[in-house]
Amino acid sequence: MNSPFELWLFIVALGASALGGTLGMASGIFIVPILTVFGHVNIHIAIAAGIASVIACSCAGAGPMLNARLTNVRLAIVLEIATTLGALTGVVLSGLISTPILCMVFATILVLSAWQMLTRRRDRPANIPARRPRSWTGLNLDSTYPDRALGQEVDYRVDRLPLGMGLMYGAGLISALLGIGSGVLKIPAMDTALRLPIKVSSATSNFMIGVTAAASAGAYFVRGDMAPHIAGPVVLGSVLGALVGARTLMAIPTEKLRLLFVTVLLALAVQMLLAAFGVVRVQGAA
Amino acid sequence: MNSHGPGGDLEHRLAVTLSRGTWLASAVIALGLLLPSLTQQGARIVTVGLALLILLPVLRVMLMLVAFLRARDFPLTAVAVLVLAIIGLSLAVGSLSAHHRF
Repeated sequence: MNSPFELWLFIVALGASALGGTLGMASGIFIVPILTVFGHVNIHIAIAAGIASVIACSCAGAGPMLNARLTNVRLAIVLEIATTLGALTGVVLSGLISTPILCMVFATILVLSAWQMLTRRRDRPANIPARRPRSWTGLNLDSTYPDRALGQEVDYRVDRLPLGMGLMYGAGLISALLGIGSGVLKIPAMDTALRLPIKVSSATSNFMIGVTAAASAGAYFVRGDMAPHIAGPVVLGSVLGALVGARTLMAIPTEKLRLLFVTVLLALAVQMLLAAFGVVRVQGAA
Repeated sequence: MNSHGPGGDLEHRLAVTLSRGTWLASAVIALGLLLPSLTQQGARIVTVGLALLILLPVLRVMLMLVAFLRARDFPLTAVAVLVLAIIGLSLAVGSLSAHHRF
């Protein structure tokens, strides 16, 4: 770290990733608005750094969940068709959308994420096998996972794949457009549409977002948005935060953390709205 | 049925690849950031580290492709090929709008 600014970027990313990790959020949703509003970084460069941090969080966190057999890798790659197509659309749109509109979309997603954080995720009672014919049976997506509380393998089915794919397309689009992990769309897709157990849902979506983000990060890299002095410190901070956060922050009561998150998300939403209306200056399109 | 073989053989290999890859990319980025700022060398090394990080999930899809192909699981092999093709297309779109900001 040579400049104070690089150190600041590193610390912001470390904090965002450590805090975000405890509640299963990638750090991009905090990093992009903080960089644009407080760091005066061009919004497209901030988005590129955000999406790089999403890859870092995904890859750094994937190992333990894969080894615990919580990740459904077959389902992941099928859904990645939808998320990478969404990312491709997001990349195209990001070149067309004006900076104020981009800030407005970001503010909306921040508010929705805050609202989602207040509503609790619950495991629905075990899937009642509806035995409706499913066209995707040949893909063998149904699986089992070891439930520690029950001390046994739990079977689960993958329901309503087309609906899940549709929502995941949206998640990929928002992820690429804003440089975030877009949990706000992944959670309804995985929990509600596909009806997966929460642990499987979290592990699988964390695994998938790396590939989703690689599709847009690759595009932003060749486009020339991936500024090394911005994305470099952000990625390092994110990796370290993901590793540290999971261990040390468990001590903080989740309820307090949840309220802190909602407050931060809403505060950033206000900033992005002010930016959208030109009250706060934000550097935009080149 | 959780992928192939007991104990999640593929899962374990993917876990090792992603963990080691993250460390490698991070180490390269850290090296570049610690070099004196006056040299362009530092920025170039960080860029290499970022490229490694972006390629890591792509490598993960390639490993899955090979595993599915070996297991003669052709539907999932086709899915993996399609995902790689879409990522390639996204890169092509990015290079069409390439500019140099810095």
